[in-house]
Formats: sequence, structure tokens, C-alpha cells
Amino acid sequence: MAEQETYFSDDYPIKIYGLSEQSLTIEFGTVINENLLSLITGFNQLLFKKPFPGLVTAVPAYCTLTVFYDPLIISTSGLSGTTCYDKVSNYLKKLGSAKREQSTVITDNVIIPVCYGGIYGPDIATVALTNGITENEVITIHSSGFYTVFMIGFVPGFAYMGGMDRVLATPRKAIPDSKIPAGAVGIAGTQTGIYPIETPGGWQIIGRTPLKLFDVNRSQPSLLRGGARVTFKPIKVEEFNDYAV
Amino acid sequence: MKISIMKPGLLSTVQDLGRYGYLSQAVPVAGAMDQLSHRLANKAVGNDDDLATIEFTYAGASFKAETDVLLAYSGDGAFLVYNEELMPAEKPLFFCASSIIKLIANPIGVRTYLAVAGGWSVPNVMGSKSTYLTAGFGGLKGRALQKGDVLGNGNELNLVSAGIKDQLIKNELIFPNWRISRESLLPHNRQTLRVVLANEINWFDATSIISFLTKSYNVDRRSNRMGYHLVGKPLMRKVKRELLSTAVTPGIIQVTGSGDLVILMADCQTTGGYPRIAHIAAVDLPLCAQLKPGDEIRFSEISQDEAEELYLEREHDLALITTAISLKYIR
Repeated sequence: MAEQETYFSDDYPIKIYGLSEQSLTIEFGTVINENLLSLITGFNQLLFKKPFPGLVTAVPAYCTLTVFYDPLIISTSGLSGTTCYDKVSNYLKKLGSAKREQSTVITDNVIIPVCYGGIYGPDIATVALTNGITENEVITIHSSGFYTVFMIGFVPGFAYMGGMDRVLATPRKAIPDSKIPAGAVGIAGTQTGIYPIETPGGWQIIGRTPLKLFDVNRSQPSLLRGGARVTFKPIKVEEFNDYAV
Repeated sequence: MKISIMKPGLLSTVQDLGRYGYLSQAVPVAGAMDQLSHRLANKAVGNDDDLATIEFTYAGASFKAETDVLLAYSGDGAFLVYNEELMPAEKPLFFCASSIIKLIANPIGVRTYLAVAGGWSVPNVMGSKSTYLTAGFGGLKGRALQKGDVLGNGNELNLVSAGIKDQLIKNELIFPNWRISRESLLPHNRQTLRVVLANEINWFDATSIISFLTKSYNVDRRSNRMGYHLVGKPLMRKVKRELLSTAVTPGIIQVTGSGDLVILMADCQTTGGYPRIAHIAAVDLPLCAQLKPGDEIRFSEISQDEAEELYLEREHDLALITTAISLKYIR
């Protein structure tokens, strides 16, 4: 068995840069892949297990983890370094020299029911036509895939997911719709995603989930988090309506 | 203490220092665009800085005191007028029930903050009272204020607020003889914004970096709480590769595909994929919040360490103001 790696290692040479007076970014790499995702997810979880005084929050993205801090608390803390930026960087570097404990990384598994086609998926025919397959095949292929959430961004609760079968790839609409309802499941290029709130958008809408992707009344408002595994389950209109009640 | 909105003006929302706990779920910071004015309005009535104020955009709004109220305002979008008299900013103002207060144009800027002793009472949503209009949460029912809305103070008055109120009532005054000097916290030249160069600085060609730091830019009409588009010489890229979406924060200056500059502001998305040329020093970001379409600005470079030092000095000065006001009323 290979020797256990550390979070910051030669395999993943990290770069730290200041983003503002209250934040800095750790760059773990420059390409999207699942190893990097698991590294960032693990380091983010470690940071909250071992926070420094003045840690405000952290935002994971494809290749980066951005750490927000309160300079007033940092400047009077015992962390080593001259500036707040140095103090936080030094702390993170020390934390990054710890051995990775992949087994302890928490991964969410989320099943998302989707009512495909019909009034909830008005663009399913476009996706089928573009790719020379039937609407039923679109449903089968989309709902048999395993998807990974790389990051949450764009609007509250929106998950950037990887893992869609390229057979379904369909360009965005030339003219975006002025209103796409919350819960709409769409395809844009090689990506699939779910609209958490009603917004304008140009994605091809193939279905809708009755789940709330974003709900301010939940302790974790966003249903999905970076690192989550997602699968879609086809449901009938009646089941969709039952959820709504 | 209660007021009712008679005219909401162009855009009036309840804001505080913003919502930081849910950035990883793509919930924007939101909050007061001009945090300095927001904090000074709060300080002038004896509040903690993080209590909610009303952010007014330009002039035109008016409201009525439904009870006796202790208020204060700060900012550059409007002056408060009561009984056809201009009310001083950054001072506590005591109005009796039924007083009608109007906001008239201040040509300097855009946004004005109104604080009430005890802070405006709206529900806490995800740890903040700030309104985020795009998703319709926070503030008053997730929306801008409307005619007829009634807002009151949330907390009991603290000793300082109560002291200010008693002093004004006893002496039958609208305001005391002291005020906070906001001017002393603002740079002399408000057209030049200090910036710290960003991580992708070397993605731009040398000529473009020089023009960024020497030429002037004008604020475009496409400017709102999410960000300001600037008009000026487009910047050319040396490195053509794409930036994978990563966290951004208010104050960052992004460069779009066509080479145009966009300053991200309070309601900006939490992540972005445009290369960044610089970020506005936190101490100068309040000046940005007061920029109007057409305004001319320039950028001057400071180091990351200087920006941090300026931030800490500013916080020190602001803490001194709070202490000075408290000492007037608490023995």
C-alpha cells in the first residue's frame, strides 16, 4: 500500500493568494477532476474540525478553497506571522502538512426524483432530436447516470455537476427563457443542472423535481454540497403532485 | 419606535453588514453597499454596527414617524429634511410622533442609510437581516420597501441610545451639538480608488496593466447592487486560457471576455470565472457604493500589506468613535 499522502504534497503543489483583506484562496490545481474534489472536500472538513480563531467561512470551488477570516481577531491572535494574511497562510500550511484521512471524508448521497417530459420538461424533444434518440432514451440515460457535485455557485443552491453522458449534450437556447421555475432540470452543453430558484436561463429543460434545492428555512438551505453524489429517479406526474401537497 | 413609508423612492431595502455564513451554498454577502455610512448611522444612535439600517437609493423617499423616534442618517444619496429644514447627517435626530421626513437630492452620491435606536426589526434569515432581492429573502419579506410599510426598532434601547434620547427630550432638541466626522474617514481625493493587484494580473499584457493604473474609467449605466460596469480602454489578455470558477467577493474587479472591467458589489455571485485584475481596498469600497453612472474614476496601486494595514487602522478609528460616544452617556 502506498504511503499515506498529506493534503499539500508534491502531487498537489498548492499556491496561496490573497483575495481581499478578509479572504485568501488556496489553489490545489488547475484542472477539474475527482481526486482534486476529494482533496478539497477533505481539507475543508479538516479546517472546520480544527478551525483557527477568526475563521468566518470557507468556499470550495473546482480547484480552490477560499477561506474568509476576521482580521481584527487574527491580528490579536497568537498565530505566527506578521500580517493577518501571513498568520492565516501559515496556519493553513501547517494544517495541510497533516496526513490525509480519506476514509473520514463525508460524502452525501442524494437521490433526486424528476418528472421528465410533458409540461415539466418542455425541451425534452429538442434534446432527443439533437442527439438522434427517443425521449424515453433521454430519460433512461439521464436517470441511470452517477453525478458528482463539484461546487455550488451562480445562484443560491445551484450545483455544478459532472458525470452526464455526452450522448445527451445539447447546446443552450439561442434566446434564454425569461423565467425558468425552481426545480427545473436542464441540460446546457455537456452539463446538467437544477434551477434552485426561479431565474431567467437558457438551459434545455427536460424535467422538474418537486424537491426544494434551496430552502431558507432548512438548517442547510442548499440540498446539495460540494462533493455530493447525485442520482436522478424518474417519477410520474401523480407522484410529483403528491410531493407538492 | 415606528415609522411608516409614505414614498419608497427608487430602491429602499433593509440591510446590515451582510450574510457570510452561507457563501459555500452560493448565498451572496448582500448587506449595505456603503458599509462605512451604514456603521456611522448606527453609531450615531448608539447602536452596534451590525444592526439593520434602511438603504435608500437617491432621493424621493419620505416617511412618517408613527411614534417618537430616535434616528440618524449617513451617506451621499440624499439629505433628510424636516419642517423644510435640512437635518445634519451623522448625528442622532429625535422626531416626535407624526413628524414627516423627506429625502431630497444630494448631488454627490447614490446611497443613504437610516438607522433607528435599537435597529430596524425584520427577521433574521441565515444569520442576517440583509435583503437579497434576486432570491427574495431577507429584509422585509424579501422585497424592497413599499408605500405603507411600517418598520420599528427590534431591540430595547441600550444605555447609550437611552441617554441620547433623554438628553434630547429634556433639552427639547432635535439633535445634540456633537457629530461624527465622516469626512475625516474619507480620502481627500474620492475619484482615485486604491487597488491591490490580483492573482491573474499576469494574464494581461503590460500595456493593459499600465493603462489600468493610469487611465480614467467611467461608471456605466449597467451598474447596480451586483456590480458596476466601467467604460474605458478595454484590457488585452496575454494568457488566453479560461479561469475555472472560483470564489469572488465584493470589491474584486473582473475583466470580461471583451476586456471590460466590472467591479463586483454587495449582491455579487459567490463564484466567478472571469480573470481578476485587482480588488478595491476595503477602506475605499464605501466610495464605490456612492458612484453614479458617468462618474470618472482612476485606480492607484497599493500593496496587499498596506491594504490590510489601512483596514486595521480604519477599524481602530471606528472603535474610537464608539468609545467616544459611549463616554458622553455612560459614566
